[in-house]
Amino acid sequence: MNLPILLLLLGLMVVAAVAAVMIRSLLKSAIALAALSIVLAITLFFLGAPLAALFELSVCAGLITVIFISAISLTGNKPKEEEEEKIRERRARFLKLPIFLLIIGVFVSLAWIANGINISGISDPAAPTFQTFKNLFWNMRQVDILGQVIVILAGAFAVVVLFKERDQA
Amino acid sequence: MSSLNFDPLQLSIIVSALLVLVTGIYCLIYSRNIIRMIIAIEVMMKAVTLLLAFSGWLMGRIDLVQSFIITMIVIEVVVAVVAAGIALSVYRHNDTLDIDQLDELKG
Repeated sequence: MNLPILLLLLGLMVVAAVAAVMIRSLLKSAIALAALSIVLAITLFFLGAPLAALFELSVCAGLITVIFISAISLTGNKPKEEEEEKIRERRARFLKLPIFLLIIGVFVSLAWIANGINISGISDPAAPTFQTFKNLFWNMRQVDILGQVIVILAGAFAVVVLFKERDQA
Repeated sequence: MSSLNFDPLQLSIIVSALLVLVTGIYCLIYSRNIIRMIIAIEVMMKAVTLLLAFSGWLMGRIDLVQSFIITMIVIEVVVAVVAAGIALSVYRHNDTLDIDQLDELKG
């Protein structure tokens, strides 16, 4: 794998995550989350998981962004009504995050390098993926697929209940 | 690269996943807006997805891990949809998304 490209992708991922958390407008936050999903999908592709990358791209970057944008527009995005005091307090709270991340990153990297940690494993699998994946997903994990179907149905039921208009005046 | 006693690829992936995870936890602790808290949960899930894919790549079991990631994405979407629905219903009830103002356990 090409290390500089991976480093660029991982850097973009951290930047997108911090942007999704720190940007004041919720709409822009949701778009930063979509950008994070896209970068993660490319990274998954590089790690040899094209089907997971496809799911990540279509479902997380597409569907979840649509859900967030509709939730934000339904709840009304009104940053103008926020008081100046509150905005200043929020800015002070979130400005500590990059410094905090920098400290953690440097500390963990130095500890890793000082101890010479190497996770052993087979680092370059040459096996074809799709055939084995098909067998794994459809034949060996049938109970999980049933569980997923139940979760999706439960989600659909929850949405019907939560979005139901009340009859009371 | 062979002179180093560590793999820069392993280090960069684990450190960046850790940073993304910490970003999500930080936002979950300090945010006061429900929708931003859901975004924080999503950010944390991205970090876990990256770590899962990395473990599969490292151990040569990427097919197994792909099926786990797909299961996780399905759960992620359902969590996001249900949480957004709850946020919407909280907003309809209280006309606010600020968790500090949700202090009435009535009706």
